[in-house]
Amino acid sequence: MRKTLLTVCISLYLVSPAFAGINVVATLPWIGSLAKEIGRDKVSVTTLVKPSQDPHYVEAKPSMILAGRKADITMYNGLDLEIGYLPRIMESSKNPRILPGRPGNFDCSKFISVIEKQANVERSMGDVHPLGNPHYHYSAANIIRVAEGMANALAELDRANANVYRTNFKGFAARFHEKQKQWKTLNLKGKKYVAYHKLFAYLASDYGFQVIGYMEPKPGIPPSAAHIEKLIEEMKRNRSDGILVTSSHGLKEAEFLGAKTGVKVIVLPQDVGAMPGSDDWFAFMDKVMATLR
Amino acid sequence: MRTLTIAAAVAMAVCSIFSFAHAEDDLDSRLNKLDSELGKQSETIREQQKTIDDLKERLNGQNTGESQTSEDNAGKLTGLFGGSLMTNPYISLVLDAKGYVSNLKNSALDSRGVPGFTTEGRGLRNGFNVDAAELLIFAPVDPYFNLYVNIPVNQDGAELEEAYFVTTSLPEGFQVKGGRFKSNTSRLNSQHPHAWDFADIPLPYRAFLDSEGSGGENGIQLTWLPPLPVYTLLGLEAFQGDNPLLFGNDPNWGPHAFSAFAKMSFDTSDNSSLLVGPWVMFGSTNSTSILPADDTAGNTLNLRGDSALYGMEAVWKWKEGIQSVTLQGEYLYLVQNGDLTASDPGGTPVSADHLKRHQDGAYIQALYRYGRWRVGARYDRLEIFDNTFDVGGVQQSFGGKPWRATGSLEFIPTEFSMIRAQFSHDRSARDGRVNNEGILQFVFTIGAHPAHTF
Repeated sequence: MRKTLLTVCISLYLVSPAFAGINVVATLPWIGSLAKEIGRDKVSVTTLVKPSQDPHYVEAKPSMILAGRKADITMYNGLDLEIGYLPRIMESSKNPRILPGRPGNFDCSKFISVIEKQANVERSMGDVHPLGNPHYHYSAANIIRVAEGMANALAELDRANANVYRTNFKGFAARFHEKQKQWKTLNLKGKKYVAYHKLFAYLASDYGFQVIGYMEPKPGIPPSAAHIEKLIEEMKRNRSDGILVTSSHGLKEAEFLGAKTGVKVIVLPQDVGAMPGSDDWFAFMDKVMATLR
Repeated sequence: MRTLTIAAAVAMAVCSIFSFAHAEDDLDSRLNKLDSELGKQSETIREQQKTIDDLKERLNGQNTGESQTSEDNAGKLTGLFGGSLMTNPYISLVLDAKGYVSNLKNSALDSRGVPGFTTEGRGLRNGFNVDAAELLIFAPVDPYFNLYVNIPVNQDGAELEEAYFVTTSLPEGFQVKGGRFKSNTSRLNSQHPHAWDFADIPLPYRAFLDSEGSGGENGIQLTWLPPLPVYTLLGLEAFQGDNPLLFGNDPNWGPHAFSAFAKMSFDTSDNSSLLVGPWVMFGSTNSTSILPADDTAGNTLNLRGDSALYGMEAVWKWKEGIQSVTLQGEYLYLVQNGDLTASDPGGTPVSADHLKRHQDGAYIQALYRYGRWRVGARYDRLEIFDNTFDVGGVQQSFGGKPWRATGSLEFIPTEFSMIRAQFSHDRSARDGRVNNEGILQFVFTIGAHPAHTF
């Protein structure tokens, strides 16, 4: 009898939410990092995708579905980056709070100025994102607006703490403007780089450099020997200032290309936490800026 | 002891009441506080608006012509299945084509069942086979339902394999699915053939269910995902029971097939997860596909009785960078009792015997992926622990235990295309005739983006 009672008590405890704050599920590490900055002690953040994982190809693991089940709000990158797994998580989690059109469905891309929006695409062009380049977490000007949208969304969801979120955002914005002053001094005008994937388009547009070639023949298609040969020829004819690559994807290929052409390989973190010293979004951007300098 | 239980229950109830009362007391003061805060907030908002406007101005200065303003985006909602470029509903088409070679002739393949289990033949013939072009149509119906329709089309015509709704807005983690759909019991019943890890279904499925598993069935399903620390999905299903082998059409009764399942999963590390799930399908059986017609008299054998198929699925997946490993195994155990009636070619019953079956089967498989390449191996076997096939009190003997070994190599250019070469050494016919077969399979997807399930 005592045992049954104990079991009942334990299961009751397990069923009842242990944390009183807002349960935030973030798909990508940078989103999780932002949510922690804005929510602080009022939220508990679960991040689905690991920093080194390719965000294009993720499977909807049951643990992710369970996180979705408990979520008060799901925050995601949008622009179809998570199209392969997020719909599955949303439906299978059986949680109406996080469905599109509800306050618990937060699409970060709604707050940004999107670039490379494509009107006419088909899959013969590779893994192109018709809604625009989804890798805007390198774009400071966009992230501040996402952070603000996040503060408003959390304030709407958790009215009692609305002021806390707005104050946290103010703090975030103040820090952001300090950092932005430093970041703005980075001048890469006229520089020409070769990149592995179309990850750095927002950096290019913010800091005025050009990406003159990609190691992937088409987005999402791994480099072929013939394509790399051609790229080497081009890089010999046109001087380039570096090969941009992340620590998670294409590093080996980039190092090979670097060795062949004598062009230096610039290794950037793919997302928050992907490299040492990039543990939150500010540190991540600092790391990107310091590496590019 | 009982008093103790009651006391505990009362204490719990009191506690919860107290917390509500407390909340009400709080409400007034909180309302006042909120009022005053609202004033402050509008001030804050004004300030923030200024900051945003500044930022926007700066940004507009920077941006090139191709960029989009934020107002354009902010007004847009994002749909469940992503981008707004595709029209509603979402449509995709999957082509599943196979080339097949075997040491056996087509006639031998067509009649190659698994004695003691099924009379259904191999289903593939030497040369080119198009299994199906599968048309998948899906979209949210409204804020409360999603609809999925799956119509495989082949040379025999189109078939409504699945057409079902799923609720999206039930509270407390409940979900109802209804219409025509594939059962979510087991690992493979709900998977479509083009999503399998091999070109064909493992032997236990073929022996107990069908060459595509339990298949699309008219019915209804209730699932519940409680917010436990470990992923635990519980489900109940009721079906019309049309599966020709396990249930069979019943002219007199409605739903006569039922199932229950649980799926539990947790992450074994940052990069790996384990899923296990017991399940059962049970109901009444009316089938002529279990035993072939009598060779000499041409008498057909029909079973009427009850069946229960128990199963256990286990999957472990590991993925890091461009490498991944999947280990998967399932065990199936059949309990079947009923009357086996022999009828002459005219349909007149000539004899009846009691049939008792206790048979099992299992498969294990391993897959390793590196970038765009994947290799796989699978071993299936029937009658591992039990081979009771008892007609009128006499155990029947069909010959050696059926087994099969399979190896595969896949090239996966993108998530929309896959080419698979598979070789099987098949000893499931128990007559000493081995089927060494090679399959070259092509699977292509166009249209709306498919989801990747675990």
